[in-house]
Amino acid sequence: MAEFSWVSRSPLEQGLVTGVHGARGIKAGVLLTEIRNFDLIQVMARRGKGVQMASAAEARFGVAAPDVPKAIQTADASLIWSGPDQYFVLSKGSKHTMDTLTRALSQSASLSDQSHARALIGVSGTKARAMLAKLSSIDLHPQALPIGTAAATSIDHTSVNLWRGNDRPDGQAVFNLLVFATFAESLWHTMLDAAAEYGVDIRHSEEFA
Amino acid sequence: MVGRAQTHRLEKGGLIDRSAPLGFRFDGKTFAGFQGDTLASALIANGVKLVGRSFKYHRPRGILTAGSEEPNALVELRNGARREPNTKATTAELYDGLEAASQNRWPSLRHDMMAVNQLFAPIFVAGFYYKTFMWPAKFWEAIYEPAIRRAAGLGRASGVADPDHYDKAWAHCDVLIAGSGPAGLAAALAAGRSGARVILCEEDFVVGGRPLADGGTIDGMPAAEWISRTLSELAALPDVRIMTRTTLFGVYDGGTHGAIERVNDHLPSPPEHQVRQRLWRIVAKRSIVAAGAIERPIVFAGNDTPGVMMASAVRSYVERYAATPARRIALFTNNEDGWRTVETALGAGLQIAAVVDARPDVSPAHRALAAKAGFPIMNGSVGGVDGGKHGVRKITVSLTGGARAEVEADGLAVSGGWNPAVGLTSYHRGRPKWQNDIAAFVPDSAPPGMVAAGAANGAFSLGACLRQGFAAGAAAAQDTGRSGKAGTAPAADDEAFSLTPLWHVAGKGKAFVDYQHDVTASDIELAQREGFESVEHLKRYTTLGMATDQGKTSNVAGLAIMAAVSGKSIPETGTTIYRPPYVPVAIGAFAGHHRDENFHATRLTPSHHWASEQGAVFVDTGLWKRAQWYPRPGEKDWLESVTREVKAVRGGVGFCDVSTLGKIDVHGPDAGAFLDRVYINTFSNLAVGKARYGLMLREDGIVYDDGTTSRLAEDHYFLTTTTAKAGLVMQHLEFCRQVLFPELDVQLTSVSDQWAQFSIAGPKTRDLLREIVDPAEDLSNEGFPFMGAREVTLRGGIKGRLFRISFSGEMAFEISVPARYGDALARNLMLAGKPLGVTPYGTEALGVMRIEKGHVAGPELNGTTTAADLGLGKMMSTKKDYIGRVMAGREALVAPDRQVVVGIKPVDKTSRLRSGAHIIPKGRTPGPDTDQGYVTSVCFSPVLDQWIGLGLVERGRERIGEIVHTHDPLRGEDYDVELCSPVFYDPDGGRQRG
Amino acid sequence: MRIVCPFCGERELGEFTYLGDAKPVRPAASASEDEVFDYVYLRDNVAGQMSEYWYHGGGCRAWLKVTRNTLTHEISAVEPAAGVGARKVGA
Repeated sequence: MAEFSWVSRSPLEQGLVTGVHGARGIKAGVLLTEIRNFDLIQVMARRGKGVQMASAAEARFGVAAPDVPKAIQTADASLIWSGPDQYFVLSKGSKHTMDTLTRALSQSASLSDQSHARALIGVSGTKARAMLAKLSSIDLHPQALPIGTAAATSIDHTSVNLWRGNDRPDGQAVFNLLVFATFAESLWHTMLDAAAEYGVDIRHSEEFA
Repeated sequence: MVGRAQTHRLEKGGLIDRSAPLGFRFDGKTFAGFQGDTLASALIANGVKLVGRSFKYHRPRGILTAGSEEPNALVELRNGARREPNTKATTAELYDGLEAASQNRWPSLRHDMMAVNQLFAPIFVAGFYYKTFMWPAKFWEAIYEPAIRRAAGLGRASGVADPDHYDKAWAHCDVLIAGSGPAGLAAALAAGRSGARVILCEEDFVVGGRPLADGGTIDGMPAAEWISRTLSELAALPDVRIMTRTTLFGVYDGGTHGAIERVNDHLPSPPEHQVRQRLWRIVAKRSIVAAGAIERPIVFAGNDTPGVMMASAVRSYVERYAATPARRIALFTNNEDGWRTVETALGAGLQIAAVVDARPDVSPAHRALAAKAGFPIMNGSVGGVDGGKHGVRKITVSLTGGARAEVEADGLAVSGGWNPAVGLTSYHRGRPKWQNDIAAFVPDSAPPGMVAAGAANGAFSLGACLRQGFAAGAAAAQDTGRSGKAGTAPAADDEAFSLTPLWHVAGKGKAFVDYQHDVTASDIELAQREGFESVEHLKRYTTLGMATDQGKTSNVAGLAIMAAVSGKSIPETGTTIYRPPYVPVAIGAFAGHHRDENFHATRLTPSHHWASEQGAVFVDTGLWKRAQWYPRPGEKDWLESVTREVKAVRGGVGFCDVSTLGKIDVHGPDAGAFLDRVYINTFSNLAVGKARYGLMLREDGIVYDDGTTSRLAEDHYFLTTTTAKAGLVMQHLEFCRQVLFPELDVQLTSVSDQWAQFSIAGPKTRDLLREIVDPAEDLSNEGFPFMGAREVTLRGGIKGRLFRISFSGEMAFEISVPARYGDALARNLMLAGKPLGVTPYGTEALGVMRIEKGHVAGPELNGTTTAADLGLGKMMSTKKDYIGRVMAGREALVAPDRQVVVGIKPVDKTSRLRSGAHIIPKGRTPGPDTDQGYVTSVCFSPVLDQWIGLGLVERGRERIGEIVHTHDPLRGEDYDVELCSPVFYDPDGGRQRG
Repeated sequence: MRIVCPFCGERELGEFTYLGDAKPVRPAASASEDEVFDYVYLRDNVAGQMSEYWYHGGGCRAWLKVTRNTLTHEISAVEPAAGVGARKVGA
């Protein structure tokens, strides 16, 4: 009987080549980091249960779930608004999985595991905004998209969830993108094309910060 | 490259960098210019006057303007794949090694054979094409069209793929400003100081607008100094962005503007990783059109002679480029502004041959200047120009009172007044209004949020431009909630602008209105005589304003001439509809990143890279790349590979990635009730742990989609859709949930990307699965019956799902694992299945097996078929309402003679059946009356060892066993086929239940 | 065109999918064939204000009722469909 290994393979495993790409001789203006290990659960309130869902979320996470397009950081998770009466729970280390969250939230909400349905990409650097402006139609100016703002939007006619995380220590903005897994490699190449003129430093990380 | 001496370059002055000489070639000759030149200014500096031939008459043409309104000086720029026809020499920035060629001439510019057209000029009048190439009809394709195509055309396309890259980007701001002249800069100052986010687009590569040539004093300092100080101040503001080489070409709904940035057009080729051009969509809360005005020609005989140039262009070439278009120049003006040219010319040491002023009065100051400089002022108009391809030699002046005079000159500057650039403000069907004092159209209305300021608004003095721009900038900032202090407006004098309208000087010889399309004043008169008086008819009949310059220099003059001959005023005559783009925009820029392999985003299945390693051939299925078959060494064609795959499945076991099916989690207490309404059959009574095939209709009763849906928990169904309709079904279900049935407590989530799902099929399926799933899972018929569905534990501990469903007709399961394990699943199946001879199969084998089994798919769910047509009428519940129920019962949709799904096999077993072939009764002549349907899907069936198919055939089910005829006019094939049951394989279903 | 999604804010047209007239209401199960026919096929072709269904499929997946002037493309109101999100409708 064969012994199996179930190697988890990111949808960007093939497309992502670490290192500096694009324009040379300048400091890379864009830093792209794929985060490979995460749990992502979609939570949608059941009819008329918006209030109950909010209090269940507060009991679980210690903060109210976002009811407007925001990403809220808790001690061990990010709650990312994804539509009316729904949000994602993004976490690591199996702290908030389908099993645990179903117990906590299923009285008032329906849950769907999306951990394998998305790729998670962080975009930062001095040219991050310029590069994203080629892909995203939304206004990424800090006045329009302050830290913690989330958006359910599209890139290349493909749905994405975008939110602004905490700035890097050097003050650079960080934009996080959840993209559909089956589109990920294609979008990745589109992102590289957009970033190439600024120089792009590509990395991946098993864990997000 | 070494160029000859720049014979017409001034010793000093201009905004050119004399420390940066550039070599370039025009029509094979080598010249020199400087950084900061345009191709036009460099040609002028080299004394080149003849730069092209006109479109219709092949008349010699020179440079008329110094901007994007240029109708004459169009060249083919660059060579090879980068050759770009119709490039305006007046905006093309000079770079070292630039190569350009003139257009519309053969064999050379100076000796153009097609100039013979001028001899036939009397027949090339308005409506020439409509009148001439009427008959005989058969001449059209053979003679007329090839001849016209050879003669016509504005330059030659490269004919090969564009090697450069383009992209598109979005920008957002409070205040968008078009134009960086005094009005635009003042607007940017006011808005920027107020704290607004400002974007200013300037078409030119230098900021400043007319003062770059015309100077002036602003806030007590020379305009150049003010511009420089203003740019410094704007640069210090955090949210003011100035985009040069960027033309705002259109305004669309909701404050969306289109702009084209020529990022690297000023270089021989874009640097590595950079784009040639970038298309911007700029979303602005307010916009200010400070795009200035365009000086207009006066229509007189010979007004297209090389050396006749707009007066403002003469000043631009002299002041900005230190290049002199003539040594002895005459001026023909009907307004005060034209006189600036005299000062410029004298300042550059040129001789003034004469000033022909159409106005009755000329100021004493001008008279004094003329006396001092020694040139005559003639009250009258220019009636003719002598000179051909060598340029202006002599000018004939019709003096007021009737006398004639002749003036020797090698250049003629013309000013007929100025037309505000009303394009942007008129793009939402706005009609500009006539303003008498400047005899020009000015904006009357504008798209929401847009205003015009400065010369674009008909304000021609420097002072007024600054005031209007500043006020508009401050107001726009206020409107967007920016309340910072705008400070005081920059100030300048209000120089007088007096003008006596003069559009057309009657006389002998061709007088051009539209230079680029060779439309003359007499063409307009002819159009009027022939009844094409409406401006829209005039435009299309004469082609006035329809060239690449869109009539920037010609439209108003054309309207004025039409007004004069039809006895109407100009405002009564009106303007044509203005439409974007303001300047030509390359298709490549509109496409941006989306070309070749990036034409659209692609989707890859979880096992894609594994399949690629196996050498799979991929097929585009919508956005997906799917493995079509897996060729093996020695196989001679796809059919051999596919047949092997089918046989391997039917005789053993194979697997296929079917992750492309749409997958939707349907949650909630009312999930079953919801599915009952969207499917024709019932799902609320489906037991937990079971799957069921479901069919959806459109509300008009036609089949929409199908798939299996499983109940994984009391309040959780897992619905699948076809690959093609995945997104649309999700949208449809959301519509049902949010709009049609909002009372139902149900939640929908796409989980298409969460699960890697493989079909495992063949008699040895269980043997393979037992190697994959935990030994504790019972896969027997009792423990996992046909249409069972549940979560299972796989060896190694991960969770997956098993569905006992079969598309192939074999004993089969679908197995799903979280998508990141999809690649591992493929590898593990190969490893575990090695002793069983496991065979991966692609979409072709999948299709063969579904046809053998008589399952319908896309070709049968074709948007015209009902459930009954597909043989699925019995699924239609009579106990509940569902989408499409009522309309499906309409008479025509239940008529007995409908075309229904039936099996088809050629009588001659060696015949190859083809999709699309028509079915007609045996012995009848093919035609619309005898057509009874067509073949929808075909395959070579390894089981039957012949080609088989499915078809939609009139009363097909009643005619099983009948021999009919197949007519395929497309491929010229005719043969007899037998109508048969669509289920060719294992009709009692024993294999899939086994 | 830009549509102000009540949940996401102003977004460009490309994120939305047009369905059409929002006026017709799906008839009850007991409705006649004629009534359903009218619902499925009969639409006013309005030159002016029109209530339309749009789907924010490239965003939050909400179905929206958009009041739009078909002559000017001016959008005067956008409201969510009755059953957007977890909204409780009816009993």
